[in-house]
Amino acid sequence: MAVRPVLVLPHPVLSAPAAPVGELDQAALDLAVDLLDTMRASPACVGLAAPQIGVARRAFAVDVTGHRKARSCHGAFVLFDPEVVASAEPEVAREGCMSVPDLTGDVARATRMTVAGTAVDGSRTVLEVDAFEARAVQHELDHLGGLVFLDRVAGPHHVFPRKVYR
Amino acid sequence: MPRFSLSAVGADRPGIVAAVSGALVDLGCNLEDSTMAILQGYFAILLVVSAGPDVDARSLESALAPVAERLDLVLSVRPLTERHGPTNQRDAVAWTFSVHGADRTGIVHGVTAALAEVGGNVVDLATHLVGGAQAPVYVMTLRVTLPSSPDPEEAARQVQQAAQALGVHCTAHPDDSDTL
Repeated sequence: MAVRPVLVLPHPVLSAPAAPVGELDQAALDLAVDLLDTMRASPACVGLAAPQIGVARRAFAVDVTGHRKARSCHGAFVLFDPEVVASAEPEVAREGCMSVPDLTGDVARATRMTVAGTAVDGSRTVLEVDAFEARAVQHELDHLGGLVFLDRVAGPHHVFPRKVYR
Repeated sequence: MPRFSLSAVGADRPGIVAAVSGALVDLGCNLEDSTMAILQGYFAILLVVSAGPDVDARSLESALAPVAERLDLVLSVRPLTERHGPTNQRDAVAWTFSVHGADRTGIVHGVTAALAEVGGNVVDLATHLVGGAQAPVYVMTLRVTLPSSPDPEEAARQVQQAAQALGVHCTAHPDDSDTL
C-alpha cells in the first residue's frame, strides 16, 4: 500500500479518541498495511497508531524486533480494537514519539501486561507483553485515547528537548 | 545569616555555573536552593544563597561583576528578609497538568488564571516552544496543588475547560507518590 505522512502536534486527530474498527473490512486491512509500511519506513520506529497517519480508528502496529530493551517480542503485528486485560509493575523510562519530534519524556508504564484485540486475520488475539514491548503497546494505546506521552509525564522536569545541546 | 536571591541569564556557553559558583565560594556563600536551565539558547540561573554576616547585596554584586562582565550575564541580587516555609497548603493534593497545542498568546495566563480561580497553587512549571516557525507548538507541564475539598477532580475539570476554550489540549492526573 503506502508509506503515509506521520502527523505531528498540534494536529487535532492526535488529541481525539479514536473510533472502534469493529468487523474488519478492506479499509481496515489497508490501514494495517499502511501502518506497517509507515512504521518500517522509519528505522527507529517501534510502533505506530492509526491516528498518527490521520485515521481516527482504534488500530496500531508494533514491532520491537531486535531492540536492545525488548524481552518479549511478537514480531511485527497489528491489533484492532485493543483493550488492556491486565497490567502490572510500572517503571519510569524515557520515550519519544514521531508525532512529537522535538521532545522526549519520562513516563511510568507497566512492565508486564496482557492486551487483547483483533488480529489482521480477524481472530481474537490475547498477547502477553513485557519490558519494551509493553511500553510500546501502552504508548500506542494512549494514541487511540487521544493522548501522547506528554500527557503522561511525571512532572515539569520530565520533558526534554531532543535537540543536541551545544 | 543573610540570604539573597540571585539570578543570572546569558547566552549559553560552557563554564557559567563554574564561574558563578566559584565567585560565591570565594565569598563563603552557600547555595541553599537552585534551579538552572537552558531557555531558548540562554542559560538561566536562579539561586537562593546564604552568606556570612559581613556580606551584603552590594558586596555580592561586586564579587560577581567580573564574572558577569566576562560571560555577558545579566545579573540580579536581592536580599531576602524572611525565611519562608513551604507554600503548599496542608489540605492540598498534588496534581500534574499537561498542556499542549498550537502556540498562541495567553496559554500560560489562561491556564494559571483558571488554576488560581479554583484555589490551585503552581509549585513547578516548565514550558517548551517546539515545532519550528511554520507550526509552533507550545508544551507546558505544571505541578500544582489543588485544595483537597470540595473536589479536586472538579477543580481539574474547570482548568481543563479553560484550556479547551483557549484551543489547547489539557490533561491532568493526581500525583502518585508512596511514602516508604
